[in-house]
Amino acid sequence: MNQHQDLRAVAPVDLADPDTYAQGIPHDAFAELRAEPGLSWNQTEGFWAVTRHADLVEVSRDTGTYSSESGHIQIYDIDDDALAERASMIDLDPPIHTRLRRLVSSAFTPRHVEAYQAAIRRRVQRCLDDFQAGGGGDWVAAVAAPIPIGVICDLMGVPEQDHQYMIELSDHLVAGTSAEPLDPGAYGNTTDLRLLPFNSPAAHGIFEYARELGEKRRAQPRDDLVSKLIAAEVGGERLSDNEFTNFFRLMIFAGNETTRSAMAHLGMYLAGHGDQFDRVRRDRSLLESAVEEVVRYSSPILYFRRTATRDTELSGTAIRAGDKVVMWYAAANFDETVFADPLSFDVARPRVPNNVAFGGGGAHFCLGASLARIELGILIEEILDRRLFFDVVAPPVYVASNFVNGIEHLSMSVSTPPKGQS
Amino acid sequence: MSLQQWTMTIDTDKCVGVGQCEMLEEEVFYLDDDTGIAIVVGSETLPADRADAVIDKCPSGAIGKTR
Repeated sequence: MNQHQDLRAVAPVDLADPDTYAQGIPHDAFAELRAEPGLSWNQTEGFWAVTRHADLVEVSRDTGTYSSESGHIQIYDIDDDALAERASMIDLDPPIHTRLRRLVSSAFTPRHVEAYQAAIRRRVQRCLDDFQAGGGGDWVAAVAAPIPIGVICDLMGVPEQDHQYMIELSDHLVAGTSAEPLDPGAYGNTTDLRLLPFNSPAAHGIFEYARELGEKRRAQPRDDLVSKLIAAEVGGERLSDNEFTNFFRLMIFAGNETTRSAMAHLGMYLAGHGDQFDRVRRDRSLLESAVEEVVRYSSPILYFRRTATRDTELSGTAIRAGDKVVMWYAAANFDETVFADPLSFDVARPRVPNNVAFGGGGAHFCLGASLARIELGILIEEILDRRLFFDVVAPPVYVASNFVNGIEHLSMSVSTPPKGQS
Repeated sequence: MSLQQWTMTIDTDKCVGVGQCEMLEEEVFYLDDDTGIAIVVGSETLPADRADAVIDKCPSGAIGKTR
């Protein structure tokens, strides 16, 4: 160890340990880290922890200094051959990233997602009908999971009967970031796990599914993203099998897990912050800021990592070329210098400055942000229109992961006020 | 003093087609569906407050203003 390293402030908790997130976001630990000067150093995995809003935005926007391509976007390092195997636009820097992203970006702009409103509303209504009919149940299985996967699968062109399979694969993919042991041969996998995204055999299942669907769409194109990706050319060349299957995997994962987490947490907030939703019920102009608050408060993605491409400095801390720099969105979203009284859930919170749940800006800003906002907005609207009230029946079961702030199960009861009462 | 009008610009290397600009100022910006990049359409200009708001809202920092 050199002198530089000896002076590093060490985090009060191990941010790399999945158990740190077993009860949700470790707010106290993040507050301590934000209060410390400079960046703190995680000794277990060897990374700089970025926890303040301003620092995170700086890292996020400077893709030249903080690379997604050299190294890995998750905390643990992987071999170069494994990196190449799993590369999708999220693991690449401009200009390659930009070319890939532009293949699909137009499907996710606010103008385009407006057009999906009616279909999304039908999905939301169906899920709420079922949930109400049973007087409640597992909010995640009944509402939070099926809505986002249904929406992204519609966009991709995955037929309805396969949506449940996509949920299962996506869940097992995330299991690769928890301490759970994985069966390397699951889904007929024969690939060395270290070569697979999240080191998970479920990635093999997703790749196989993508290939099959891709073949169908190559033969008979439809108006969906898989058809578009199969036909797309980047720099005069078709996407390789590896590029296509990873693209599909990324879209299924990102379109599924993140919005699902936000919706799962929304269930908790509906039960615990009913007064806040009453405000939105009375004043619908608060819907937009309420959606942003759900996204901020839930911070579905806990972190993404970058790797420094050169010696640099951030918040007074010297960073060396090759150092891992980890952006803790779940910490920056509660930065008390940016969000007044950050731990209070406030549907009227000003939207500027932006929370960083969709990223701190720059090339990797969440592609699905507009889609997620519209899905959450419709779900909240429908709940308010139906005058639904929720109670949490059993404590939520969190996903033990250092990467996603997920809820596995949330048992809730639902009721409507007796007729004539308001 | 009259309000200063600004002509908007797009840095096409930075634009990743999020589409916030088009939502905020549809008379000025348009997302080209073929390229996935925002373009400035027509000769519309924006007053300083609206120009700054749309610059601020662009997550990739691709929007600029010029006289």
